[in-house]
Amino acid sequence: MTIPLEDVRLEERSEVTGPWQTVVWNDPVNLMSYVVHVFRTYFGYTREHAERLMLLVHHEGHAVVAEGAREQMEFHVQAMHDYGLWATVRRADT
Amino acid sequence: MTRVRMTVSALEAAHLTDIVLQFTDLLAEAIDGVDDPGVARLVPDGYRDAAEDAAEFRRLTQDDLLDRRRDDAALVLATLQRDGQTRRPQDLDRADAEAEVIVELDAGAVAAWLRTLTAVRLVIATRLGITTEEEQDDDPRFGVYNWLGFRLEGLLQAIED
Repeated sequence: MTIPLEDVRLEERSEVTGPWQTVVWNDPVNLMSYVVHVFRTYFGYTREHAERLMLLVHHEGHAVVAEGAREQMEFHVQAMHDYGLWATVRRADT
Repeated sequence: MTRVRMTVSALEAAHLTDIVLQFTDLLAEAIDGVDDPGVARLVPDGYRDAAEDAAEFRRLTQDDLLDRRRDDAALVLATLQRDGQTRRPQDLDRADAEAEVIVELDAGAVAAWLRTLTAVRLVIATRLGITTEEEQDDDPRFGVYNWLGFRLEGLLQAIED
């Protein structure tokens, strides 16, 4: 049996890149209720989880809202920017 | 998500129309390449401490984000029209200004309103130099900013109910 070449490449790549994170940063403009709304609507998080993340952003200045492949995190960050939140991509080990 | 019915005065609808039209002009300039710090806040860096990654991310996402702001704003303006006409404050006579306007929003329009109100507040906040959550209350220049926040909060409550 032969393994399709594409699958091998994907696996190698995920080992090399490791997990990445989507980080949302606090800002003085966005309403707390809006941030909760975004986390619930976009990520599908429960109200409790979304509120916990929002409070982390508010009190700690930032929160990790998702982890995974780099491409996926970039997709999330663009989505956060679309909602007017400031988010960045970073390596999970930083 | 449910539909939302909002009642506002014709004057408030006209002021909101005026603000969103100004925002649309600003976006058009930005899409043409004019730098504006307020618009820059709508397309922030996607990476910190990694200038090359941030530049590449911006290259891939900025135009799309600004196009979406423009499309959202156009949808908001459409929902604010009366009798198929866009009305700014100067288009109203005094009797007309007090009239009630019902704004009906479907799920897509609600989402466009939320994002547009947020985006306009971000631009205004940049212009006013708002850097903390505390300094926004008494200064009269914050009137429009706070009013947009009030409408945003109201919309969020309406879709929660």
